[in-house]
Amino acid sequence: MKMTGIIFSEMYNDELNAFTHDRNMAAIPFGGRYRLIDFTLSNMVNSGITNVGVLAKQHYHSLMDHLSNTQEWDLNRKNGGLLLLPPFATESFNQIHRGKLDELRNALDYLQDATTPYVLLASAHTLCNMDYRPALESHINSGCDITVVATKEEAASETPFTFVLMADESGQATACALDYPASAGSYAATGTYIISRELLIHVIQEYTAQGAYDLERDFIQRKFNQGKLSINVYQCTDVVLRIRNVAEYFAANMSLTDLKVRRSLFRPDSPIYTKVNDEVPTYYGMDCTVSGCIIADGCIIEGNAENCVLSRGVRIAKGAVVKDCIIMQGSVVGEGAVLENVIVDKWATISAGTELKGLASAPVIIRKGVTV
Amino acid sequence: MIERKKECISMLLAGGQGSRLYVLTQDTAKPAVPFGGKYRIIDFSLSNCVNSGIDTVGILTQYQPLELNDYIGNGVPWDLNRNFGGAHVLPPYTKTSNNQWYKGTANAIYQNIPFIERYNPEYVLILSGDHIYKMDYNKMLQFHKEKGSECTIAVITVSNEDATRMGIMSTDANQAITEFEEKPAHPKSNQASMGVYIFTWEVLKQYLIADEADPNSENDFGKNVIPAFLRDGRKMFAYPFEGYWKDVGTLGSLWDANMDLLDPKDPLDMRNPHFKVYARNYASPSSMLAPGSKVTNSFVAEGCEIYGTVENSVLYTGCVVEAGATITGAVVMPNTVVKSGSSVNYAIIGEQCVIESGATIGDRPEHCLNTDWGITVVGHKRTIPSGAVIKPKEII
Repeated sequence: MKMTGIIFSEMYNDELNAFTHDRNMAAIPFGGRYRLIDFTLSNMVNSGITNVGVLAKQHYHSLMDHLSNTQEWDLNRKNGGLLLLPPFATESFNQIHRGKLDELRNALDYLQDATTPYVLLASAHTLCNMDYRPALESHINSGCDITVVATKEEAASETPFTFVLMADESGQATACALDYPASAGSYAATGTYIISRELLIHVIQEYTAQGAYDLERDFIQRKFNQGKLSINVYQCTDVVLRIRNVAEYFAANMSLTDLKVRRSLFRPDSPIYTKVNDEVPTYYGMDCTVSGCIIADGCIIEGNAENCVLSRGVRIAKGAVVKDCIIMQGSVVGEGAVLENVIVDKWATISAGTELKGLASAPVIIRKGVTV
Repeated sequence: MIERKKECISMLLAGGQGSRLYVLTQDTAKPAVPFGGKYRIIDFSLSNCVNSGIDTVGILTQYQPLELNDYIGNGVPWDLNRNFGGAHVLPPYTKTSNNQWYKGTANAIYQNIPFIERYNPEYVLILSGDHIYKMDYNKMLQFHKEKGSECTIAVITVSNEDATRMGIMSTDANQAITEFEEKPAHPKSNQASMGVYIFTWEVLKQYLIADEADPNSENDFGKNVIPAFLRDGRKMFAYPFEGYWKDVGTLGSLWDANMDLLDPKDPLDMRNPHFKVYARNYASPSSMLAPGSKVTNSFVAEGCEIYGTVENSVLYTGCVVEAGATITGAVVMPNTVVKSGSSVNYAIIGEQCVIESGATIGDRPEHCLNTDWGITVVGHKRTIPSGAVIKPKEII
């Protein structure tokens, strides 16, 4: 394989701090049995990448716990495998990372020791099931300095994307903008880049020495605008779920019952791996009603659930009504409780008879381990 | 030289054909038959070993071992990938002389004396991969040591009727075995052998060698080795086990054991987080219960997509139940598709089957005469054509 993989386990300026006060972005539970990072990591493995470095900024215990058995992703290798790259403070640099370039400084030794000609940079919070090999081929054929994997936006968007590009017919970028809404026919980047290892090492050394820390702003956009960087845009045609705030996180979970999303994200020929928990299959009780739900193993459902994502080991007691909710691992919804548009983090208890209602755009969030 | 040693290792007899499971064991060994949504029968014995602190397991295979070999792999799912010990699949092999298949259960162990000696164990636990139960073998080992036993046989209390089909132990007040009868017409006790033995290895080794030298022996534990121990007045004790235990050797008992999982009292203690049953995992997504689906009193593993109706059933990993399909009282093994308008009643459907639309499999007992009713069984990888009717008791 010609690529080394680097995963950014954080996004910067994230608005998901309700879930990230004791775990980092990559370790946020998703879709019943996954953590966000599982998708990018599995894509790398399924694309034949066997060297993966995972960059972490802070409170990464949960991520370490999740990734500790690298066996699950087939990344227990003699050569390469998975390496967590936590912050490494030095005399000259001991602050919390401000951006991807700061983080990449941590991976400098790792990248210098790697032997592959190319590096794939990817974010943990963009979910899709894609093969990176055709993207590499496109990068090599384009002769460009960097390849940006992006989705083509058929319609203009109101909300801004992190990084938007225009490209000509050959896929060469003609313009780019940060935090900008997409116009019809423009490309929205997925946070996935292919670059030669040599150039990346050079960029990290040169730019961080000048105090630059934002990969997109300080390197890609600035150098492109100076006419010193050619960008190849590779169009990803698979379903891409971007998770930058609570509303997007909520909507992405809810979209898993959409067959187009399910078929694109979960494919037998490229499985999404995760940490195995050896839970028993889920038991559906005598009088339960369940409709439009995504449900992991180990649940006991005796109440009513509609349009929900239920993680491993969730219990919905008799008479409880749970509608448009995400209930994370091990949480219990007591008898007769009524929840609507609620996200319940792990190991929380919703006492019998409790009523909680949020909005789809602003769900009520119950923190990890809390009893309501 | 100081040799590393294990106090107790386990030998798991997994070579049986399980012929009474008919189509379900046509191409696979009985221990590899799927069970309980996401498991295979052998997962229970393997998990028991690991949960009892036994980390060395020889798995003796002979009949159709391919699927079992693949399933066990390097033992990772059960934490049986160890530097010293772990899971080892042991098929019969050729030697400079006397090449043979495993002639019987005792002969299978005899042929693997060199494997056992590598671990220089004090005790050997002999298991069969045919039963569904959770048991702490370490407690039995303590019992074996406390009694100064040379052969300890785990026993479970059964009804008089069941006793006529099993190996029955009579014991004195101290649990010492005084008599052993295989399938007695008039059982003298209700303590039946579970097929779980702990032997003091030095003693067992002598008996295996003697048994092999006897041309009249069938080289079987129940028929030859245990009676020989008893004849010679060896120290033999029955270890009483309390808890759920089921031989799933017949289609009826396999169906029953699956249905027992729906018991809210959880007799098998499946949800005990400190004594989990481990299984190989196939990275399927969470199950999807679509709008309009109706699932009640059922066990559903991950990777399923349900649009239709499922009641009183066990659905294994990756099954699809289309809209308008109805599944009642059924055991549906992994990756089977039940298409729209078909109905599956009181049946066992094998792995990777396709039930085309409008097919009817089995029937409810209340719709049949007593004598006509029974579990319907469809073997692995079968396609049931559209509109077909498969009657109760049929096996295809």
